[in-house]
Amino acid sequence: MTVVLSRPVQWHRALSVVLLLGAVALVVWHRAYRTVEMLLAGGLIRLFTSDGVYVAAARQTVYFGLGGDRPFGLRMSPECTSAFLLLPLLLVGAVMIVLRPHIARQVLGALGIALVVLIVVNQLRLLMLVGLINWLGTDRGYYLGHTMFGSFISVFGGAAALVLFVWLATRSPKEDPA
Amino acid sequence: MTVPVILGLTQALALTMSVAFLTYVCLIVVPYLRHRPARPGDASAFDWHFLVPCRDEEAVIENTIRYLLGTFPSAHVWVIDDASDDGTADIVSSFTDPRVHLVRRLRPQARTGKGDALNAAYRALVSWLPGADPLRTIVAVVDADGRPAPDCLSVCAAGRLFGDETVGAVQIDVWMSNRGVLPPRGSWLGRRFGAGLVRMQDLEFRTAIAAIQTSRGITGTISMGGNGQFTRLAALASIADESGPWRGALLEDFELGVHLLTAGWRTGFTRDTHVAQEGLYSLRRFLSQRTRWGQGTMQCARYVRRIWDSRHLTTLGAAEMLYYLAQPWLQLLGTLVYPIPFLLLGIRAAADPTEVWAWFSGGAWLLFAVYGSFGLLPFLVWGPIYRARCEPSVSVLRGIWYGFAYAIYIYTFYVTSWRALFRLVRKRNGWTKTRRNSETRLALDH
Repeated sequence: MTVVLSRPVQWHRALSVVLLLGAVALVVWHRAYRTVEMLLAGGLIRLFTSDGVYVAAARQTVYFGLGGDRPFGLRMSPECTSAFLLLPLLLVGAVMIVLRPHIARQVLGALGIALVVLIVVNQLRLLMLVGLINWLGTDRGYYLGHTMFGSFISVFGGAAALVLFVWLATRSPKEDPA
Repeated sequence: MTVPVILGLTQALALTMSVAFLTYVCLIVVPYLRHRPARPGDASAFDWHFLVPCRDEEAVIENTIRYLLGTFPSAHVWVIDDASDDGTADIVSSFTDPRVHLVRRLRPQARTGKGDALNAAYRALVSWLPGADPLRTIVAVVDADGRPAPDCLSVCAAGRLFGDETVGAVQIDVWMSNRGVLPPRGSWLGRRFGAGLVRMQDLEFRTAIAAIQTSRGITGTISMGGNGQFTRLAALASIADESGPWRGALLEDFELGVHLLTAGWRTGFTRDTHVAQEGLYSLRRFLSQRTRWGQGTMQCARYVRRIWDSRHLTTLGAAEMLYYLAQPWLQLLGTLVYPIPFLLLGIRAAADPTEVWAWFSGGAWLLFAVYGSFGLLPFLVWGPIYRARCEPSVSVLRGIWYGFAYAIYIYTFYVTSWRALFRLVRKRNGWTKTRRNSETRLALDH
């Protein structure tokens, strides 16, 4: 009798393909991702303001201050979304898993945390923008929040996510004391 | 794909690459600034052999041999004449000192690469040294114009370097011997440009490269350079194939380091001593040299699998080496990605200049200033550091100026990476040596 065994699944390659498909999905469905981002932002803004907040999901826009004198709307454009910032991490994670399969769990954990950091940082950027517009007015608040502090938050948030990812994905397991 | 999506993608990619580099520079600056000299070791505990590969080096080789014999009385000097057309071999033969050895390579076997030349010397050395203790025998590769500092043997013999038997190789700092020296010929402007180019090479090796190497001490991935490279004979023997320990990549020094590290040897780097070499005054020769280095790094991409498969390298170490090997490719990507937002802005400005100007003067200029600073700072920082740690006699203002000049200098890598890619695609893998400043013949390097 001959037993024919199927080729073992190279699970790490499959995992990498999943990550790469995730990256492709972010590009293809970035509009849906931006809608989710704005829904999340709307929920967060509601926690901090008593004025009216409305999310126009179809336009990826959140309106706030609707009950006040200065209603304002912020749209999540492709340049402002965190979707595309996730792509390099997904690509690097996929490569690391292919090259060293036994660290797959570690890489996935690091990836999860870094992705959460990037998403949270972008939400914080939006909240800061809303706060500054409410505090300093439309022109000055938007200018400071979007152009100046927003850039710093993006850079330092991105750096934090990268450092976290590299540190968590590459750290050696602690040796058991003999 | 719409224009905003292209803009979003390229901005995200550019931001990630810039932030990654900025973070990397911040991380390597700290160990560099915290460096303190270590206690030297006992050089007499080891046997030292200098390998000096030569091709048409009659202008410099005699002085180099005299320097090595005079400075290191216990060391042997092995000159490899790679079928020179000039009087290099005759000059070496004229030395009657038994410590001088000539390894002659003849055509058609000669001129096949620096790795092959070093392998010829390795084989000659091994057959000349029967019964020697390979753990106590150190082989140093020095350029034909190289001047290792007088203390380099004792520094390399230190307890944390060859005093530790797990250390297979040590790379020492590289300085430019002609820094601050104007080239003898050329126009007023050309001579100053040449001197500036040499200053930048000195700054690069003594700050940025030294910082990278120092931080690699943490990742366990210190790499070897072509000059001032010291290797234990036992380590060379452990990775040698039938030809020898060096392989055929254009970056044979980095390649040697990869083989040593993946074989389980540790490598070391020290700034406590140095080897001096002549920096290049000519921009054309400099671009040729850096194209060769870029092409060599691209060739070494074939070692990615070996590096990540090695149980001797941590994931952090493997990631560091991957980042290094990715550099020429990231530079290529950068030349494609970085201009896209500016191109799109230019197109928009051409269509509606009033709107774009209002946007720019209304605050967007700050955005340019912020991202410009982040792009510049990782290079600019090395000017003042160079002044503080390497050349304290230089004024503070000149140190800052060096930083700006270094930023411009680094942008030549975007050119050399493309040249390297074209050579790689066209399978032009052969190279002649980079001509020295004193050589005036045309042709050769390309």
